[in-house]
Amino acid sequence: MELLLQTVIDGLLMGGLIIIIGVGFSLCFGVMHIVDFAVGEWVMLGAYAGYMMVRHFGHDAMFYLPVIFVIFSALGWVIYPVILQVVSGKRFNPAIMGLIFTFGLSITMKGGALTVWGYHIQSVPTWLTGKTLYLGPLTIPGLRVSGFFFGILVTLLLLAFLYKSRYGNVIRATAMDRDTANLLGADVRKVGAFVYSLYAGITAMSGALIGALFSVHSVMGAKYTMLAFFVVVLAGMGYVPGVIPAAIILGLLQSFVSVYIGGRFNLAALFLVMYGVLLITPKGIFRRGW
Amino acid sequence: MAWKLTVFILLLVICFIFPWIVSPLWLRIGTEVVMWAGLAQSFNIICGYTGRLDFGHGAFFGIGAYVTGMAMTLLGWPFGLGLLVSGIVSALLALAIGYPTLRLRGAYFAIATWAMGELIRQIATILDITGGAFGLQLPAVLNLPYFYYMMLLVTGLTYLTTYLLVEKARFGYKLLAIREDEDAAEMVGVNTASTKNWAFALSAFFPGVLGGIYAYWVTFIHPDSVLGGQITDVMCVMAFLGGIGSLWGPFLGAIVVQLIQRVLWVVWGEGTFYLVIIGVTICAVILFIPNGLVGLLEGTGLFSPKESVNELKKKIKW
Repeated sequence: MELLLQTVIDGLLMGGLIIIIGVGFSLCFGVMHIVDFAVGEWVMLGAYAGYMMVRHFGHDAMFYLPVIFVIFSALGWVIYPVILQVVSGKRFNPAIMGLIFTFGLSITMKGGALTVWGYHIQSVPTWLTGKTLYLGPLTIPGLRVSGFFFGILVTLLLLAFLYKSRYGNVIRATAMDRDTANLLGADVRKVGAFVYSLYAGITAMSGALIGALFSVHSVMGAKYTMLAFFVVVLAGMGYVPGVIPAAIILGLLQSFVSVYIGGRFNLAALFLVMYGVLLITPKGIFRRGW
Repeated sequence: MAWKLTVFILLLVICFIFPWIVSPLWLRIGTEVVMWAGLAQSFNIICGYTGRLDFGHGAFFGIGAYVTGMAMTLLGWPFGLGLLVSGIVSALLALAIGYPTLRLRGAYFAIATWAMGELIRQIATILDITGGAFGLQLPAVLNLPYFYYMMLLVTGLTYLTTYLLVEKARFGYKLLAIREDEDAAEMVGVNTASTKNWAFALSAFFPGVLGGIYAYWVTFIHPDSVLGGQITDVMCVMAFLGGIGSLWGPFLGAIVVQLIQRVLWVVWGEGTFYLVIIGVTICAVILFIPNGLVGLLEGTGLFSPKESVNELKKKIKW
């Protein structure tokens, strides 16, 4: 019973972290119909940014989250026109070209990180590291709890922005029907740039958090690309509210497989579920995807 | 036309006498180039001609390597039989995977095949008969020219099959029609489901065989070395750099990418900077020359431009 409860809690906490990555990714796909293969590398770069800042300027990693958000949003804003060029140019298959292009970006980022920082695994200490909450027989790591709540908070803020504000409506309209939104006066180009920079910022920020929680290394990106894809496939591509349950399912699946079946089956189970969902219901478990 | 034939025959002769005029190091590199040319072409069949981006194509290479490896070590089969079985297993698996997966389009297909490829790698890591995470050791044979000629044979067959079946036959026209507009192809009476399936099986057969040769050549295979994502990555880069959807594109791409990689390796040693170069190359190719190097050469008459579907429609009564 205790083991079961502990497994559930671990799963929930893991899921909470993945929500942040999934949210930006899903939004990016919904609005621009770009599948960004570099999502994990944004996480990795964010984690390194956090690590470098802590190493050079001191202070706590949490303190730099907004700074990282701003830096990477700017970076996303700069890269966006290039991606738009690829997707909207006269190519034989824009979706595939976009995928390949971001795939090239991801190889570049990974190779760059490996060249600059090598294979060493770094860790980022924060004031929450090692602080643990004991709830009867259960152990709850403080850092993971803060990550979980941070993830939920960011997601709720983003959802509130999307569903309540005026510009959020414009973004959702663009996601629903690009051409009609354009006719009604939405500057879809600007919306795309805004969404892409938002996505890059949020993902890199979650990367800094993940770096503080686990560790920072150059090849960590692949894992988070995988998790982000899983969440988005399960939620339905482009359906942002679906990300929260999907990420929690992911966390629970991972922790249950690890505890009850065995850690080496973890990734196999993940890919099996992902493949199955794509075959059975490509629009996600809520059938609301694009 | 005559000088085109001359170039082709010259190329063929160079391919055949290659092992006798170079050092063992260059023979190794040559074998790699030939292997990658075949792999890139097999990727080109499904991606370039059929228009489905298969991000798990490397899995067929790994399956071929493992089937040959297991057939030789566990069952004691001869090498040739192992190769044939690898190819057939790969193709059958492609049929089984393709039947449900090929219904998906665009990014969905790419993600699904990627998940499938990774799933196969995880299974190879978990299972005991594949040697799990420790890898599989094959009997060692040191005969470089033999492997070179084997690779050359299979790669040659890949190109011949592509030329005969995809460039010149009805089957290929159907594939192009599916690539350009799948719904329209279905409307004019193409059985899209079975055509796509056969194309997928065809594109999986050759990596299976090449993987088998590779396994015997390097004598040690490991889930990360033959089933890893980098196999698909490199195939993809070569096909796109050379020119997707053209017969000679993957060949050109394989030569350029493999030579760059090897030269960098010789100059800088075991570094990771080549990843940056490969990544930037992909981005630049997609941005500036979406038709690849072959697209650049189109005007020179060395490569005939692709026939558009409209021209094909005039030629063929469906």
